[in-house]
Amino acid sequence: MSDRLTSLREAIQQVFPQVDGVLGIRRGPGGIISPYLFHSEHPEELEALAIWPKEPLPDVLRKIQKAHPEAKLAIVCRGCEERGVVEMMKHSQLNWDNLTLIGLQCTKEEAEFCRCAKPYTVHAKIVVGEPIEGVPDPVTEKVAAMSREEKQEFWKEQFLHCIKCYGCRTICPQCFCNICTLEDEKFVETGRLPMPNPSMYHLIRAMHMTAKCVACRECEETCPADIPMAVHFRLIARDVQEMFSYETGAILEQKPPQLLVLEEGEYERTGLPH
Amino acid sequence: MYEPKIIGFLCNWCSYRGADTAGMARMKYPPNVKIIRVPCSGRISPELVLRTFREGADGVMVLGCHIGDCHYSTGNHRTAKRMPVLKRLLEYSGIDSDRLAINWVSAAEGEKFATVIKEFTEQISAMPPFAETMKMEETK
Ligand code: SF4
Ligand code: SF4
Ligand code: FES
Repeated sequence: MSDRLTSLREAIQQVFPQVDGVLGIRRGPGGIISPYLFHSEHPEELEALAIWPKEPLPDVLRKIQKAHPEAKLAIVCRGCEERGVVEMMKHSQLNWDNLTLIGLQCTKEEAEFCRCAKPYTVHAKIVVGEPIEGVPDPVTEKVAAMSREEKQEFWKEQFLHCIKCYGCRTICPQCFCNICTLEDEKFVETGRLPMPNPSMYHLIRAMHMTAKCVACRECEETCPADIPMAVHFRLIARDVQEMFSYETGAILEQKPPQLLVLEEGEYERTGLPH
Repeated sequence: MYEPKIIGFLCNWCSYRGADTAGMARMKYPPNVKIIRVPCSGRISPELVLRTFREGADGVMVLGCHIGDCHYSTGNHRTAKRMPVLKRLLEYSGIDSDRLAINWVSAAEGEKFATVIKEFTEQISAMPPFAETMKMEETK
């Protein structure tokens, strides 16, 4: 752990001259972890640099860039955060050219915590830590193996605990629409708890995360009810790979399926009649 | 046997005219499908399908022009991309994805329209009512 922290500090020091700021996380007063924009004028602040637990940095980056479009920024990103940045770029939420990525590789413990299949960066030129292999996701496998009835029971029980705090939507780095369907009364009834079955909120969110979810698991982490909702997103991610050969955050030049006009023969792979 | 409630979203330019063609030729098909005419199958977002189920539909059909024939050129590409994903999501949530059908029916295909409607109605009739399978218990 501490080794990685030291090398990250060094990496940031190296990048400082080329950028206006480096976005990372720090342990602030009271030991509270939060995103922080480090600046070359205050290298001593790097003392408080932290690496875990992770924070939704890509979203913070997007907001800073929006306010300061010309700023040259660097971001400390793990595999998932890098994927988040890539997808934001594809959906015109970020200016890629003004960005420097500092890739932080996750440890086995961290990857297991996130049930992460790709705990490493692939685009970052500056790399801190040793990349490791992905780990299995027992929760997703468990749900995938259930019968239809079991699945229905499982989700009904899970969504019953949802308090509709909208935390999962708000923290998600890939939820950046100006108008959110989840706030549209036509689809998600206000003032209604528990969620109706099937839960419109969760199914709509799952659909909207198609080919967008970067498997960072911030949503599950933030959920006060411990709902393993990323299971839905991960299962759909497999389908997206099968149907559209699209892997979220992987290839910079590949257009996401949302923005794609299907070529002859391609839509057949989705299993529709033609 | 119960009478299933089925909602059919038909695009104005092909499928709705296909229904007209079937009607004009006096083809017989079951009356369970309530037709809602929409400008294009691409108008039918996943949330509309979900809400239709939520309102108690036992089955939902989305019918549009064949790929390449959409009046808005690529509107039905959206349908072709997202409806299959929605079907998978229904399965992952424990809902029989056969309750959602997508098909392409042109203005000339009156016969295909009648067949598609007939087959889907039979398929849905064989399933229990949707609302019953999803029954939510009262909160304690
Ligand atoms: S894991 Fe959750 S928070 Fe992260 S991208 Fe996917 S849906 Fe959004
Ligand atoms: S974070 Fe959890 S409780 Fe809050 S809206 Fe999302 S699923 Fe519901
Ligand atoms: S107009 Fe018929 S599918 Fe678009």
